[in-house]
Amino acid sequence: MTPSTERLFIDLILILYLAGAAGYFAGRRFAGLSRAAFWLSSAGLAANLLALVNRVSLSGRLPLANGYEFLLSFTFITVLLYLLYEIISGNKRAGGVVMLLNGLLTASIVLLMPQHIGYTAPLMPALQSPWLTVHVITAIIAYSAFTLAAGLAIIQLRNAVPGDDLSLYKIVSAGFAMLSLSIVLGAVWAEQVWGRYWTWDPKETWALVTWIIYAIYLHLHRQRGWRGNNARLLVIIGFLLMLFTFFGVNYLLPGLHSYA
Amino acid sequence: MRFFKSLSSMTTGLVLLALVGAAAAIGSSLWPEYFFRSWPFRLLLALLLINMVLCTINTSGRFFRRRARISRDWRLLLRSLGLVALHAGIIFILVGASLYSWLGHSVQLSIREGDTVQIESILPVSKPFALKLDKFYIEFHHDGSPAQYYADLQVLEGDRTALEKTIKVNYPLVYNGVKFYQSSYGYLTEVLVRDGEETPRTLLAQDGDFIPFDNTGRTLKVFRYIPDFDPEAGMAARSDEPLNPRVIYSVYEDEVLLGIGAAPFGEAISIDDGVFIEFQRACPYTVLTVKTDPGLPLVAAGGLFTMLGVCLILFGPSGRKKEV
Repeated sequence: MTPSTERLFIDLILILYLAGAAGYFAGRRFAGLSRAAFWLSSAGLAANLLALVNRVSLSGRLPLANGYEFLLSFTFITVLLYLLYEIISGNKRAGGVVMLLNGLLTASIVLLMPQHIGYTAPLMPALQSPWLTVHVITAIIAYSAFTLAAGLAIIQLRNAVPGDDLSLYKIVSAGFAMLSLSIVLGAVWAEQVWGRYWTWDPKETWALVTWIIYAIYLHLHRQRGWRGNNARLLVIIGFLLMLFTFFGVNYLLPGLHSYA
Repeated sequence: MRFFKSLSSMTTGLVLLALVGAAAAIGSSLWPEYFFRSWPFRLLLALLLINMVLCTINTSGRFFRRRARISRDWRLLLRSLGLVALHAGIIFILVGASLYSWLGHSVQLSIREGDTVQIESILPVSKPFALKLDKFYIEFHHDGSPAQYYADLQVLEGDRTALEKTIKVNYPLVYNGVKFYQSSYGYLTEVLVRDGEETPRTLLAQDGDFIPFDNTGRTLKVFRYIPDFDPEAGMAARSDEPLNPRVIYSVYEDEVLLGIGAAPFGEAISIDDGVFIEFQRACPYTVLTVKTDPGLPLVAAGGLFTMLGVCLILFGPSGRKKEV
């Protein structure tokens, strides 16, 4: 793919995700549309997969090395998780919010990092490590799970049905486990590359703050029986902190993670 | 007793955890340099540590006394083992990290090709040994960006070479509990000076060094070595690759700037009547991070426990039986 074709693909993904979101929102009134929304989102997922395959063939490595590739993998896993969730649970309520979030994440590629689209740079020495793959993949799965959880929590704020609390808890648990793995694997890597496993670098600090919010949610849910909107607000706050850990730290605060 | 009880309660633990999160967020924004080393933050971490130890022992003790006997559900057992492993892991990490801040050392060591440094002179070690840098070199990508930094090292015990290893970024050297990481690098410029009747002398100048001359009021400033000089770009090197090496220098007389130049190696430059200099070559030096950390095994075990713990919890049942 040439840079302009790759850009076209990103635009296509963006349009399909936003169309999917619109379909899910409209599907609350006109039931047939949410079926169309599912297929629009699936088409977006396929385009997203093609864009990832193209990145792999362009760079010869997994698409995990900069902010653009991270976002592309992040939206792919999030939509994949959502569609699986929809198929398994038969629940389409969160589709609109989740697909809108994915649309906005894809839009952030176009708005914030257009210079990366279609181009690859060789890895700098610090990134040439097998730890890169496991550290970033676990982070992406964690981010995806938290995004799905936030979408569910936003919908549940206004109308909750029995079983909602438990599915939210399960998804947050999985995301929390992945974030824990990512932080520990990142620390192992940092020890190998810089000789320091923890430096209170902005990315580390904000990832820890995000981790703490979800840890508090898990304790309150399990041990104090927290259910309902207070618990959901914590999940949404955790998601906002996660977004800040990704965008805020990359764009506002300098640090060791300034690769994007 | 009441104090002990509230110190070990989960509510206290959650409040402490929230405080650590809020303090980290605020502290890293306002005082990123020193907040995390300040005593209030350390106190908070210490309280959290004590609380976690007590709370984990209490909660898991209760579980294994009561629940495990009634229910033989292996998934529940796995989950509880996972929870203990996760909390123990975090406790190990906190204890190991404080061991580092008490007993660990980390220094930046600049070392030139061919030089030998006694390690016991830069940080405390159990057994003295020396480190010699044989060679430092950089490998480049096609686009001129650095692909890897290499340092060929020798560990010397007395006159004997105990170990030879090439380190690079991500692949440090470990010897007798001391770790050496490729961290940074730089160049010294070798300058040949001919002033007056004496035989020429050779100096090693760091970027920014001044070289005075005896029989003239003029001074040379070795401003910067640029490996890939581009007249359009000025002081900014095109790449780190030595494709067009130049030394940027300036000449002063009584602190008045007389001129600036970009000289290649091996070219005689006249400074004044009878005073010549010649930049001969750039001598690379490497900067290594040298570290001892007695807490590292504990932190590593903690990391392993944490990862094992979260994986076990994922396999366990996610809800209690009474829940819908």
